[in-house]
Amino acid sequence: MTKDKFSRRDLIKLGSGIVAGGFLPATSAVNAAADGGAKVDIAKLIRGKIDYTKAKATPTICFGCTTHCGVIGWVQDGRVRKMEGNPLDPNSKGNICAKAQGVISATYYPERLLYPLKRVGIRGGGKWKRISWDEALTEIADKMRPLRENNVPEEFVFHYGRDKTKGYTKHFTNAFGTPHRLNRRSICSSNRRAPLMSFYGREFEWETQDFENTKYIINFGGNPMEAYQGGLFMMHRIRKAQAENNAKMVTFEVRPSATASVSEEYHPVMPGTDGAIAMAMIHVILGEGLEDKAFWERWSNYPLEDLRKHVKTNTPEWAEAITSVPAADIKRIAIEFAKAAPYCTTMSNRGSAKHYNGVQADRAIRMLDVLVGNVGKPGGFCLSSLRGWANRYGQDGLPKLSMPGPKPSDPKPWGIGEGFNEEAFRKLPEFVQERVNAFPDKWRNSYYGELATPSEYPLAWHWYQMRVGQLVYPYIKEGRQKVSVYMSFTLGAAYGYPEANAAREVLLDEELIPYHIAIDIGYGEQTALADIILPEATALERWDHHSTNNYGLIPYTGVRQPLVKPAGETKSVQVILRDLARKIGGGMEQYFIQMEDMEAFYKEWYKNLPVDWGTFKKRGIWQDETRAKDYELYEKQLTGAELEGSEVGEDGIISKDGKAIGLMQGDKAVIGFETPSRKIQVYDEIWPIAAKAVGLPMDDVNASPIAIYDTVPEHRDLPEDRYIFSTFKWNVHTQGRSGHWKYNAEIIHTNPVFMHPETGKTLGVSEGDTVKVSVYRPTGATYRSGEPGVMNSFENHVRFLKGMHPRVVMCSHHVGHWEHGAVGRSENQISGPVEGLPKENDLPVDRDIPKKIWWAKKNGGIGGGVHINDALPINPCPLTGGQNWYDNVCSIEKVS
Amino acid sequence: MAKSDIPWENVGPEFKVNHGKVGMLLDLNRCVGCHSCSVSCKTEHEVPLGVFRMRVRYLERPEAKTLAFAPMLCMHCEDAPCLKACPSKAITRLEDGRVIVEESKCDLEEECISACPYGAIFINEDKAVAEKCDFCHHRTEVGLEPACVATCPSGALEFGDLDNPDGPLVKSIERTSAKPWKEDAGTKPTVFYAGHEKWMEAMANTGVQLDPEDADITYEQNNLKK
Repeated sequence: MTKDKFSRRDLIKLGSGIVAGGFLPATSAVNAAADGGAKVDIAKLIRGKIDYTKAKATPTICFGCTTHCGVIGWVQDGRVRKMEGNPLDPNSKGNICAKAQGVISATYYPERLLYPLKRVGIRGGGKWKRISWDEALTEIADKMRPLRENNVPEEFVFHYGRDKTKGYTKHFTNAFGTPHRLNRRSICSSNRRAPLMSFYGREFEWETQDFENTKYIINFGGNPMEAYQGGLFMMHRIRKAQAENNAKMVTFEVRPSATASVSEEYHPVMPGTDGAIAMAMIHVILGEGLEDKAFWERWSNYPLEDLRKHVKTNTPEWAEAITSVPAADIKRIAIEFAKAAPYCTTMSNRGSAKHYNGVQADRAIRMLDVLVGNVGKPGGFCLSSLRGWANRYGQDGLPKLSMPGPKPSDPKPWGIGEGFNEEAFRKLPEFVQERVNAFPDKWRNSYYGELATPSEYPLAWHWYQMRVGQLVYPYIKEGRQKVSVYMSFTLGAAYGYPEANAAREVLLDEELIPYHIAIDIGYGEQTALADIILPEATALERWDHHSTNNYGLIPYTGVRQPLVKPAGETKSVQVILRDLARKIGGGMEQYFIQMEDMEAFYKEWYKNLPVDWGTFKKRGIWQDETRAKDYELYEKQLTGAELEGSEVGEDGIISKDGKAIGLMQGDKAVIGFETPSRKIQVYDEIWPIAAKAVGLPMDDVNASPIAIYDTVPEHRDLPEDRYIFSTFKWNVHTQGRSGHWKYNAEIIHTNPVFMHPETGKTLGVSEGDTVKVSVYRPTGATYRSGEPGVMNSFENHVRFLKGMHPRVVMCSHHVGHWEHGAVGRSENQISGPVEGLPKENDLPVDRDIPKKIWWAKKNGGIGGGVHINDALPINPCPLTGGQNWYDNVCSIEKVS
Repeated sequence: MAKSDIPWENVGPEFKVNHGKVGMLLDLNRCVGCHSCSVSCKTEHEVPLGVFRMRVRYLERPEAKTLAFAPMLCMHCEDAPCLKACPSKAITRLEDGRVIVEESKCDLEEECISACPYGAIFINEDKAVAEKCDFCHHRTEVGLEPACVATCPSGALEFGDLDNPDGPLVKSIERTSAKPWKEDAGTKPTVFYAGHEKWMEAMANTGVQLDPEDADITYEQNNLKK
């Protein structure tokens, strides 16, 4: 861009490779210019642009993050050129974010994996050779088949990072016979889902607030304007409600996030203290008599008078001392919130939940909604049909959608006795066997070993298997589970898990992990440690079934469909697992017979929709718009047919065939909630039961049957020179998966240490100085608790922001990749396994990569930020196992 | 031609919306700084890395703990300095008022770049032309909104007709008391900002990254400080 560098003639020589567009003949549409008098040839003006009259538009479902918006892909000359929102999607309503375009980058970047690869030389050495699919699958099948034949299928471990196949991978692991289909829910959201399921039952692990109609939102550490599962669905509704409905949003956060910045009020809060604010708000609302007594008494399972006693000491002044939020503000906000009921709602996410006391914080926050009676009401805290369409709670009248074909059964639970897998159970450490033997029947019947159902964390799998992903590698290292074949699928543990170095250490150990298969789109830190890599088709090249809860409160379904053929030799994960199952054989193949033609398979999946397949594909979305919104689902009266053969217990619970189906409310038989009491369980014995079962002290915050506040153990008496080190996600990135999306990485590729200017002053550092952040291990009842000394540290430079909480320093965790191509690595040369790179290739040429990566050090830039995930300790929350990401205590020293 | 109930089927010259004078409103009270407009723009026009037809700036509020967000693009000025500055007469105004670069006429004199008070113009080295926002001419010709407007999830961007006093754009500008960015430059922009505050214009050293060490500390849209 320097003036002397190029002349027009020089640049023309470089060649633009631009193809003329064509919706207007070159000679037509000449406009007269108003000033200057020049004639403008429109056709010339727009050459090289997408020709929307020729490009083909296909609706599909975005996979730029886990929100899954309906999108339109425009394809011209066999290449996806542009993503737009699908206005027919009732959840996103045609809105999309910056990540939606990133999926194009992920499909066409020059280092994309296009062929199966087999490692050459040592594991992690970075040398690969291209092999055929047949060679790859034959080799893998030969490793896996003996595990089934020798009756040790559990030695095959499937571990995924992001799986939206809606049951397909489970179909594979079940057909193989292993219970080890591991995920990363604990890394993400288990501390938020567990309180919801404790309150509302299995079906409602994710709330769906009625933001369209709300007047008042209290947000505890949620960031829907940047990164939140469902964030975009929330964002456009919240912004509209604020602008047009005079809705007010109050945000408690530790940094000036986009959400904090667009809230009517932002209060910096001491990390891990959101629960204290919520408890104090309950105190205020009761003190002011603003509670909805009728709703509380009808639907909660706890006496109001007991609650009054319970929160007696939780005054706003008490909370101020803990949280650093002024008592007067807490009081005012509580009153405003309660007065807006039922047109008010709370929201919360990792900011409140990913702490040692986070489960109780979220339970306190959830209690606020019950107290003001906004649950299920217009403008309030609503719950909507979430899981696939299978005549579940709240799904009456919806067509049933299910994966076609014969279904393999679940593996046998591990234990002693008839119907249990005793052989696998006997291999467990003795203390584990003893603990499991003492478990209640419900848990014994759903126990599948320490990787799938870690016995120390029963509430990670009490409702369903959320698992404790960050302990998988330590457990393998400890020998709690023998692994013969390990398959990672779209997993970035080697980069993104807490103590990612511990994950890498295990992944590099060929005794612990004798054989590692990685299925992924790109060559990342995880695939680099594999023995064999199977290249996957991207979301723009494959099918998936889609359904999720709608913030518009009327269920809908959509279909992800291929816009273009899979590039190179890539295949969708469905095709990969199908072909592998057939290679393994031994009866496993019978579960994959209906899958010859993937389109026909998905067509069958949707066969009950009252719309023909062609129309559904053309629209991408189906919804019965005339259906009533999901308000007050719990008040639905049971029909005569439903009640036939049922009985009513002393507690009013209606049971049929030994299963609770509803509740008597006065003389009405209503469905209630899917909890044991059929009420909202603000009081739930499951917490102390679980605590007792694993030997957690009963005075631990996590053992309480009703929400309480207690300070995070390592934050008690925090010395002046210690700070809380926290992390966050930027709006243009999706965890560590988007480092190679060029336009997104161009915006965010570094992660300075954000701190308050006063914090800088205390530390004697100026903006731009480099500091060393040293992190210590936690001290609660958790992994490697209380080990003295620095756990790990990193260096990075400082940026001041006045909106930071003064006791917090913060970095984003997306950057500092050492794989993921030139863009991901912020380098000026193409990288990755050379044999796997496209050659004559069918990927479009990208002129930017690598020479225009201006932030690459060798191009004169700052480079790609600092990888911080080795310095975040593994810190599972007691009982649920949710990773307490935001509790880390650190010290900071100036380096330069 | 009957309109399809599938919105993306209503695309073609017959769906073009004719505007007397095009303009845009950027409502900073709605913007959430998500960069969706900017990345959509770059994808739409395949803009090389390092240069921007549109970008979003993050501005730390001087009197508050929060940030403001400001998408920046060509202001399509009624008194456009770039148009006057170009020795090759490659910059011109279309009938609907938008200011465009005729790429075939550009001779890379770069006079336009220094003439623009908004940093909106840059050299596209791949195409060997000066480039800037054209309100997505290829899209509006076939009845689509500009890429940034079509993608905005927070309702911050509105494109329309400034000549129609009863039209939605004029009404929105009136309702929000929107004003041009740097009105003092006197170039009569047709892009208006709601929620714009004077201090924002003075904040030159604020890049999207909020990173003081990055080369991305930019002035306006493109890095003129290099």
